[in-house]
Amino acid sequence: MPDSQRQGYNRLAVLRAERGLSRKQLADKLGINYQTIGYIERGDYNPSLELALTIAELFRLPIEAIFSLKPMTPLSEEIFREPPGEPR
Amino acid sequence: MSTTTTGKIEYLPRSRRRTLVAVALAGYPVAVAALVALKHTSLNRWLILAVYLLLLLPTLAAVFVSIRYARGRIDGRCARLDERDLALRQQAYALSHRVLATILIAATAITEIYLTSGYTLRLDANTFWPAVMWVIVYIPALPSLMLAWIETDQPADA
Repeated sequence: MPDSQRQGYNRLAVLRAERGLSRKQLADKLGINYQTIGYIERGDYNPSLELALTIAELFRLPIEAIFSLKPMTPLSEEIFREPPGEPR
Repeated sequence: MSTTTTGKIEYLPRSRRRTLVAVALAGYPVAVAALVALKHTSLNRWLILAVYLLLLLPTLAAVFVSIRYARGRIDGRCARLDERDLALRQQAYALSHRVLATILIAATAITEIYLTSGYTLRLDANTFWPAVMWVIVYIPALPSLMLAWIETDQPADA
């Protein structure tokens, strides 16, 4: 999409795979075209706030767990990351 | 046209689409220029017509494929448009306006330079009809051509 758009990052592909959803199935749930899901996953298109919130609501996750302006670390790494200052 | 062919057009890579758009935009002026040049030769008129049509064929094919590619997304009639499609359509119309404005300004400037250089411009069927045909073909097709130009490659299916 717009070349001037700032690159966005997201975990949509991982979340979709975890739930065993195809792009088409997810797109149908969101009421958008399935290609748009691919463009979002690839970082070629940043969804509107409304669509991002709908996606977050669908996955029952906070929006910042799915979308970010910085490259995202794998979810597993975030889950099992030791809290700062805690001994190994 | 069959669904398979339509599907193939839908998945045309951006580089190929951009080549088609370039052919669509440049083909007609090239064909008209060739026609004007050939008219001043002693070639048979049927041969001139054949060469003109031959040069016009890739242009028509490129325009047809580009319109087919953007079908339903530019007019919004055949497909359900989501927020990305709508944004892309808006971008295509804006780019069409920019391209059209550039072409009109360039054409006006060239005509102005030509006339102020002491030449005279005779407005007859030979100059009027190519311009009219350009307007008839390109103005409606321009948004589709621009959409085919700006759309990125589709992500692989998953």
